Amino acid sequence: MMTSEPRISQLVDHLFRHESGRLVAVLTRIFGIENLELAQDVVQDALVEAIHHWQYKGVPDNPSAWLFRVAKNKAVNQINRDRKKTHCSSDVMHYLQSRWTVEPALEHFFSEEEIRDNMLRMIFACCHPAISSDSQIALALRTLCGFSISEIARAFLTTDENITKRLVRARKSIRNDNVAFEIPAGVELEKRLDAVLETAYLLFNEGYSASNGNEVIRYELCEEAIRLVQIIAGSNMIQFRENVFGLLALMYLNASRFKARLDEKGNILTMAQQDRSKWDASLREKGLACLNQAGKDNKIGFYHLLAGISASHCLAPHYKDTDWQGILYLYDCLVNIDSSPVILLNRAIAVCNVWGPEKAIEEIRQIENIPSLKNYHLLYSTMAEFYFQSKQYSKAADCLETSIRLTSVLAEKEMLQTRLDSCKIS
Amino acid sequence: MKDFLLILRTEGNVWTDLSPEQLQHHIKNGGAYIGRLIKEGKLKSANPVDKGSRIVTSANGALKDGPFNESKEVIAGYFLIQADDIDEAVEIAKANPIFNDISTRIEVHPMMPIGG
Repeated sequence: MMTSEPRISQLVDHLFRHESGRLVAVLTRIFGIENLELAQDVVQDALVEAIHHWQYKGVPDNPSAWLFRVAKNKAVNQINRDRKKTHCSSDVMHYLQSRWTVEPALEHFFSEEEIRDNMLRMIFACCHPAISSDSQIALALRTLCGFSISEIARAFLTTDENITKRLVRARKSIRNDNVAFEIPAGVELEKRLDAVLETAYLLFNEGYSASNGNEVIRYELCEEAIRLVQIIAGSNMIQFRENVFGLLALMYLNASRFKARLDEKGNILTMAQQDRSKWDASLREKGLACLNQAGKDNKIGFYHLLAGISASHCLAPHYKDTDWQGILYLYDCLVNIDSSPVILLNRAIAVCNVWGPEKAIEEIRQIENIPSLKNYHLLYSTMAEFYFQSKQYSKAADCLETSIRLTSVLAEKEMLQTRLDSCKIS
Repeated sequence: MKDFLLILRTEGNVWTDLSPEQLQHHIKNGGAYIGRLIKEGKLKSANPVDKGSRIVTSANGALKDGPFNESKEVIAGYFLIQADDIDEAVEIAKANPIFNDISTRIEVHPMMPIGG
């Protein structure tokens, strides 16, 4: 079989993304979490070997199974040949050091059930509160999603060096704080689950927020965030999943609008300007199904409400059909759970649509001096919109100028500039 | 949960006495049995005994070592398992499929816990 090189590397990339997180999770279970880097190296080695082999012998029918076999062999070699070099606290290492247990143990640890559980353990480890949040995301992308260091750097518009530093810091925190490779139980689980969902939400927003970054990578960040939450949603080990389904619903619903957010030139389109035929109906359906699931126990959580708001937008055939009354009601509920300035700012938009721009400006006045909003460009662009609608064009122009100064995203600057120009002729 | 040491003694040796087909069968069933114990969290470790055993004895106040002379019965290996009590440990020993392949005796020894 002849297979050309680019096709192989494409296949390996694809395979790597899908299988590396699973392999790293299993190997971490075997080697112990203090050897996370070793687990990654073994997987990397297996990939390199796969590429070499497939270039000469062709791609096997089941490349995943092939890759898993190579990784298993490498793990056994690592433990037995380099016994002195590998210091492991893991309780299962000795299984791979005995002829009687090595094969049954490999079969057990590489079973679908174990892979799933270990992915979940890895999610909890990556999102451990001992690790800073930017390091958490880098670590999750590296270990769970199989992103290379440069891919992560590109996604966050930073250098490889910077990402490497974050990963080193993350691994150090894991060692120093004795982060356990296990799923927490009881009260601890609830607390830790919130932290996990928050990280996944940050990762999603990192991908969703328009920026100068590559759109393809941005979309992949959203997909990976969804995949992580799917793993949690699919686990029976986690009892209370209403927040999980709420977040998953929110992600699906927002992702369904992803491809309509920009025009062909990369300009940002507002909800009113978006071509709704570009919204992805199948993602929307998945989102609505999760929303339904989230509401099953009659408890309403933070993500659930946000998902409800997103669903309202998704379900309006045209912008003018948007159910602003309903959205404002959901924001009122949301404020009871979380009255952070950004939520209040978004609530003001609903207020504007229900009660008019003057009322919305009053709402904004109450939050504009909050320090965390002072340098937030969206505060000023939102305020500009309200002034514009109430025909106070010079105030609108002032706000737009501030907003342009505060944003670093070129596409946003351009959108705001267009708005500023229309202010000046009004 | 308590630890139990299972010592397997066989008459003859599976590696030399079984036909290739029988050996394959033996490995497959033994693997499934061990896999089950791992999955249930009952196996701490298990190892077959390699060639070259020796024995250390003391005679007239001096230690000496020499080859471990086995009769027709050999120590095939050990299992260190966890079980609720000796009865469960015995049941685990009885489930070992090695009994189907070769004449076997399994000793089941409870291990003394700390403070026990």
